[in-house]
Amino acid sequence: MDRRTRNYLSGRFGDYYRSADPALPPAPERREWGHIPWTSGSTTMVRHQSIYDLGDVADFLQREAPRHVYFSAARYDDPGAGSMDDKGWQGADLVFDLDADHLPGVDPEAVTYAEMLAACKDALCRLLDLLETDFGFEDVTVVFSGGRGYHVHVRDDGVADLDSAARREVVDYVRAVDLDVEGLVRTRAVGGATRRELRTGGGWGRRTHHRLRSFVTDVRDLPADEATERLTAFDGIGEGRAETLLDAFVDNERAVERGNVEAGGPGARRLVEALAAETVAAETAPIDEPVTTDTRRLIRLPGTLHGGSGLVVRRLDRDEIDDFDPLVDAVPERFTRRSVRVAVTDPGTVELDGDTFTVDAGEQTVPECVAVFLMTRGRARKVKE
Amino acid sequence: MRPDPLYARYPFLDAARAAVQAADISPPRLVTEGDPAVDRARERVERALMSGTVAPETPERWSDRDELLSYPIARILVSLVDVPAAVEKYADAEAETAFERLRTDFAADDAELRSVSTPRADLSTFLDEFDLDGAVRRVADERGGSAPDAFRVDVTAYLRLADPDWGADWRLVNRDLADGAVPVATDELHRLLREAVRRRVASGLPFEVRGSTGGDALAAALDDDVTALRDRLAERERLPSVETVTPERFPPCIQALLDRADGDLPAHSAFAVTAFLVSLGLDADAIAERWPGLDDGNLSYRATVLADDGGGGSQYPAPSCATMQTFGDCVNPDERCETIDHPRRYYAAAVAAAERSTSDD
Ligand code: SF4
Repeated sequence: MDRRTRNYLSGRFGDYYRSADPALPPAPERREWGHIPWTSGSTTMVRHQSIYDLGDVADFLQREAPRHVYFSAARYDDPGAGSMDDKGWQGADLVFDLDADHLPGVDPEAVTYAEMLAACKDALCRLLDLLETDFGFEDVTVVFSGGRGYHVHVRDDGVADLDSAARREVVDYVRAVDLDVEGLVRTRAVGGATRRELRTGGGWGRRTHHRLRSFVTDVRDLPADEATERLTAFDGIGEGRAETLLDAFVDNERAVERGNVEAGGPGARRLVEALAAETVAAETAPIDEPVTTDTRRLIRLPGTLHGGSGLVVRRLDRDEIDDFDPLVDAVPERFTRRSVRVAVTDPGTVELDGDTFTVDAGEQTVPECVAVFLMTRGRARKVKE
Repeated sequence: MRPDPLYARYPFLDAARAAVQAADISPPRLVTEGDPAVDRARERVERALMSGTVAPETPERWSDRDELLSYPIARILVSLVDVPAAVEKYADAEAETAFERLRTDFAADDAELRSVSTPRADLSTFLDEFDLDGAVRRVADERGGSAPDAFRVDVTAYLRLADPDWGADWRLVNRDLADGAVPVATDELHRLLREAVRRRVASGLPFEVRGSTGGDALAAALDDDVTALRDRLAERERLPSVETVTPERFPPCIQALLDRADGDLPAHSAFAVTAFLVSLGLDADAIAERWPGLDDGNLSYRATVLADDGGGGSQYPAPSCATMQTFGDCVNPDERCETIDHPRRYYAAAVAAAERSTSDD
């Protein structure tokens, strides 16, 4: 990045911070703070700072207008200490990161930025469902990362002192890693006899059970031959097994409701396993494991600007999420008021602020948010107005 | 001092510690005076390191006071021994003993509960003790009886105590997590409490005993005991060396590998079985003669490398049970397997048991 571009961006980031007032996380004085300045070629983070090193945060942001701003998920006795060992770890928020780069089935090369972000939001909704329905977490903060995804901070009582190993268990749950699919059906003694039952009380068993119930409801409304067809589409279920299943499930709503798969015969196991696989594919969230298990990680501060997009790292209320469009709602209002002149080196299409811009190579005038987006990504440089 | 008998059984309780403090008893004096509590402390640690329990061999010998006071002294001993394995084994043995006592206590019926002679711990006291009173709830099943999963544990408390290494069933992903709680069966709850005890005992160990006049004197007075304990521990750590070759007594894993060996064992399995045989003093020729299936062309190289460290097994030791399990080589473990952690210990124990039974008749 050349000097003119750098000066321009840091100036405009500073302008943004003059009217923005990022909300601080709880206990800011016990967090470690870090930032990456705009200095030439710098990707080095200034870290191990306490909030007292920054002084007033709003002031600091206006003055320094950093390229990226971070705080630690952890709380420390002495957050400004130079080495991790000296900081005195006290606990950490439970943090999740969903990044478009890690979404299965989404090739970042092949889809647009907007599509990628939309896929990420679906994953976010799945993650929130797991965290709220299964984990019962209530103190959940959702943040658009300003880049390719979302962060979720959980601060419920009891999470802070979980160690890495415990956090890995949370990750594995969310991603259904090492799920014992066969174990979802267990044998229970019922009055002298034993009965095979799908676990319905919670966990991946309950999720599979929901899917089984809606599958049965669907099949029940089909003509007999189509119902059989739906079932025989599964591996290991032939006509005979399909018939047993139909008799057992479709005609016996109570059995399905209770998760009793005894009457379904050997086909029931196949069906449950297939539906469990569908459940896992449809309901897990591809969170980035190291972010969650590293209890000393730095995370972007909500309300600051992402220096690789010029978008706002934006905190979202729960009821905002559905309608949230990062490419509109995370564009700083301040960067939408005028147009500026840039030399584009890497042309292409940019979707931003509700519009699609096809940018050619060479000098031109574009809306400022587009210019900032291109410059922060190294696709354009600033030229004289 | 006449302590609450409950403290004698569960000396790690906060209240037990407070009682010791209130009694203003000085460990150095107990040691110099040769107090019975010191003998009991010695036994406590020795049994912990050797047998995995801290229960006394002859309970009649000790008063409640001896039991209670032996705990802080045992902690001093373990700190002086100052070997990580000692702390681990000791904490685990305290936890195991508490766990067994708890299970007996919780199973006791009401009449026994009221009995004055044996004070029983109850579940709620223990949940309270470990700040789990708010995190654990008892649930009844639909019929009002006790459900297979009789308790719900807050997921954060569960994660803090349960160790994924306990097995797939303990993995959170395989639990019926709902609304922030994990259903657990009664014996699983006891297992979690055992872990809470283990951590309580382990926390703060080892601590610095020396450094004050009293501490230095104490360390000096216990020096012989500490040396003896260290020796016992080292002895225990060393793998037994058995020179007889009696394949019928080989552990199940080794027998299975030998049965399977047909010149094409995977490298780790071939290594495991060869290392085991070399540790019995066999060389490549002897092995190839008895078990031709192991002669896969690399046998003599492997056996030479393995024997190269003088036979003590220190450089390339035969794999432990944990390693065997990791590679899927631990097959058909039997009852004896539960008492050992190394196939060589299995074999030594099996040979010793056979010798005992022949000399008995
Ligand atoms: S427990 Fe140890 S000795 Fe027993 S079969 Fe497994 S590996 Fe072999």
